[in-house]
Amino acid sequence: MDAFFSALQAILNGLLTGALYALVGMGMALIFGVMRIVNFAHGTFLMLGMYATYFIFEKTGLNPYFGFVFASAFLFCLGYLIYRGLIQHMPVHSDFMQILLTLGLALIFTDAIQLTFGADYHQLNLPLLAKNVHLGQHISLNAPWLVSFGLAVVLGSGMYWFVMHTRIGRAARAIAQNRYASPLMGINVHRVQAVSFGLGVAGAGIAGGLLLPVFYIYPTVGDQFTLKAFVMVVLGGMGSIQGAAVAGLVLGVVESLTSLYWGNEWALAVDFAIFLLVLSLRPAGIFGSQRV
Amino acid sequence: MTRSKSWIAAGSFAVCLLIPLVVRTDYNLQVLFRVFLFAALGLAWNLVGGYAGQLSLGHAAYFGAGAYAMALLPHFGVSLWLAPVLGIILAVAFAALIGGVSFRLRGPYFALATIAFAEVLRLLAKNLPSVTGGDVGIQVPSLFAHAINRSFYLAAVVLTAIAFGVTVWVSRSKFGYYLMAIREDEDTALSVGINTARTKLEALFLSAGITAMGGALYGSLFLFIVPDQVLSLDISNEIAIVAMLGGAGTALGPILGSIVLESASETFKNVFHEAHLLIYGLLLVVVVIFLPEGIVGTVNTWLARRRSALAAAPKQRAQRNSAS
Amino acid sequence: MALLELRRTSKKFGGLVAVNGVSLAIERGEVAFLVGPNGAGKTTLFNLIAGMLHPDQGEIFFEGRDISRARADRATKLGIGRTFQLVKPLRNLTVLENVMLGAFLHTSSTSAAAREAGRILEFLQMEDVAHLPALGMPQAKLKRLEIARALATRPRLILLDEVVAGLSTSEALALADLLARLREWGISAIGGVEHVMQVVMRIADRVLVLDHGTLIAEGTPEEVVQMPSVIEAYLGPKYKEFTQ
Repeated sequence: MDAFFSALQAILNGLLTGALYALVGMGMALIFGVMRIVNFAHGTFLMLGMYATYFIFEKTGLNPYFGFVFASAFLFCLGYLIYRGLIQHMPVHSDFMQILLTLGLALIFTDAIQLTFGADYHQLNLPLLAKNVHLGQHISLNAPWLVSFGLAVVLGSGMYWFVMHTRIGRAARAIAQNRYASPLMGINVHRVQAVSFGLGVAGAGIAGGLLLPVFYIYPTVGDQFTLKAFVMVVLGGMGSIQGAAVAGLVLGVVESLTSLYWGNEWALAVDFAIFLLVLSLRPAGIFGSQRV
Repeated sequence: MTRSKSWIAAGSFAVCLLIPLVVRTDYNLQVLFRVFLFAALGLAWNLVGGYAGQLSLGHAAYFGAGAYAMALLPHFGVSLWLAPVLGIILAVAFAALIGGVSFRLRGPYFALATIAFAEVLRLLAKNLPSVTGGDVGIQVPSLFAHAINRSFYLAAVVLTAIAFGVTVWVSRSKFGYYLMAIREDEDTALSVGINTARTKLEALFLSAGITAMGGALYGSLFLFIVPDQVLSLDISNEIAIVAMLGGAGTALGPILGSIVLESASETFKNVFHEAHLLIYGLLLVVVVIFLPEGIVGTVNTWLARRRSALAAAPKQRAQRNSAS
Repeated sequence: MALLELRRTSKKFGGLVAVNGVSLAIERGEVAFLVGPNGAGKTTLFNLIAGMLHPDQGEIFFEGRDISRARADRATKLGIGRTFQLVKPLRNLTVLENVMLGAFLHTSSTSAAAREAGRILEFLQMEDVAHLPALGMPQAKLKRLEIARALATRPRLILLDEVVAGLSTSEALALADLLARLREWGISAIGGVEHVMQVVMRIADRVLVLDHGTLIAEGTPEEVVQMPSVIEAYLGPKYKEFTQ
């Protein structure tokens, strides 16, 4: 009986984590779907979101659950400017070059944060952190994670709604389907792509802000999320936002169960195993339909 | 390669072999070791990443294979100089697996798969301490007993010379042309009868072997290796950056790239201590925005444009004269 | 034994039937043309013969060998050469080096490949641009480059997909004259063409008409041009009455 409840607890925790993963993955899927850019700096932007929220908290005392809004607004602008200032001006638009550019940005931001804030691990102290919600005798869920989960679900749905129902969102989907025809339809491709990039980056930043209460913060914390985002996007089908969201939840649960039965250190390895399996057997992913 | 160029190359390498007569300090010899090691690693990567156009960001897998072979095999009675050879074979085996899966994928999927494979190896090395010493690391025996820094430096120069020679041979041969065809357009390559899958694997085997030898030398010089050092994304990135900065697809590019990168890195390490990742990042951005063909590649393009402009000029003058 | 034979070959993409039960045979020494409006399935048929795609149903035989499942590079090694409708020069190589790639199929020596490539470029009257990069060549030269590269693989059958599309009439006719000489080299050819009928009338031994993936007519150029079914496919049913 205990085994059942342990597993159930792990699954529920996995879903909570998974929602945040989903937010990260959705951002990456948006960027890849619209611009076919493999954003190696995605986790770095998450880390920047964490530090921005942390900075706001330290300077103004504003609770991260409100502070993340400002942090993500900042990251949206950063993403928009990076697109307009750098990505738009790349002389050669090959996959190669895009990967190298985002990789370079990841290294720059990571090191810049390290030089500014130091490499030490920090952690927040909030009264909310100690609270737990109990479901029956056997299941207890950590309050901050529940709040993060709720916010992530709301914001993730918001992102999905934006892509499906607003003009810019529709323009982004048009570009994703046919980049060459889009300008002919009156779409300002660069502006829409800049917005999409900003939005994708902001998604990572939001996840970072929401993770701040429950995670250690240090300059390289983002790297694992970049890799996880890749796994989600491939698992869910490149460019499919819904796919990435589902994949995020799946990933959270799988990691949680792996930690329960095999230990924490194998979680990332299992992520990669899934990644390689999907790439080998069904490169299009669960929801994807693009030819690889 | 033309006669005069061959002599220049041979002469340059001879000069490099003589450098230890002038440079004596251990520290400087280690810096030079690093320069030549990464030149060799960059040249090796260049075969796959430059000529064949396959962006591998997981070359640490082969580097680590060489390093760990050097660390582990002597415990089983394997002689010191046989260990790197077996490391090469191990790396080629990894390449067969990695290439077999990854080469079926195009574009960014390929790069991601190479990263994933290297990361899996790193995590396996970390989580299996009984085999690899785990996170704590493992000792590596030294290949040389005397004049250690000088000997390793010379070994690195020799490895670079070998890698350079291989690169030049490849670039002039049918194999090299086939790689370039694959780089430009795989469908066209198939249509002229190139077995693209097999050709890519052959390039990867060559690349992995040289990289593994580099890993073995590295481990043997520093006498101690950990997974986060020899199987890391950082190593994979550094190798790729060296080649891209200098000029992927050229023979001199990776050598120049290593000189620039490693000296910049050393300078900044002394002045700014921890900012080497920042330097790499900035260099990458600079390369992508301003020098997509790398230093040597950009120079080559500029020279080629001048040549065709000069060739066109006399014709234009003749046309003007006949028209008037 | 026919050089190339297709038996009831079909290919579907999702719900779209691109090639519908096509059976045809090409003899040695023939120059045949596949003719049909846009979307008729010509390029898909070429891709099937050349091995870039595999048929869902039916078989393809080349010199008696079943090549239905053969990959593109194997098809080339067996003697099928091809050009692409959207030319694909290897941009960072010179014209000569592009053609050398084809020549390497039969030699490992760089110098021998260069000599062979030079010969073929002469035949196609392109020696003057041999050492220029393929990047930036005009369309007419690129079409010839495609043919040169395919010829260098020493095919016994060459597939020419829309090889005169995008050329001016005089360029197209000049190329057609060159292609007519392929017979001298013992190379059979299948061309695919949408509308440049002068070329077809000039050099084709036989014409096969495709419409929506189905072979609707076959015969000499003169015969085919008068068939009601062909006129209907191209111009619509209204014009059918003009032939009666």
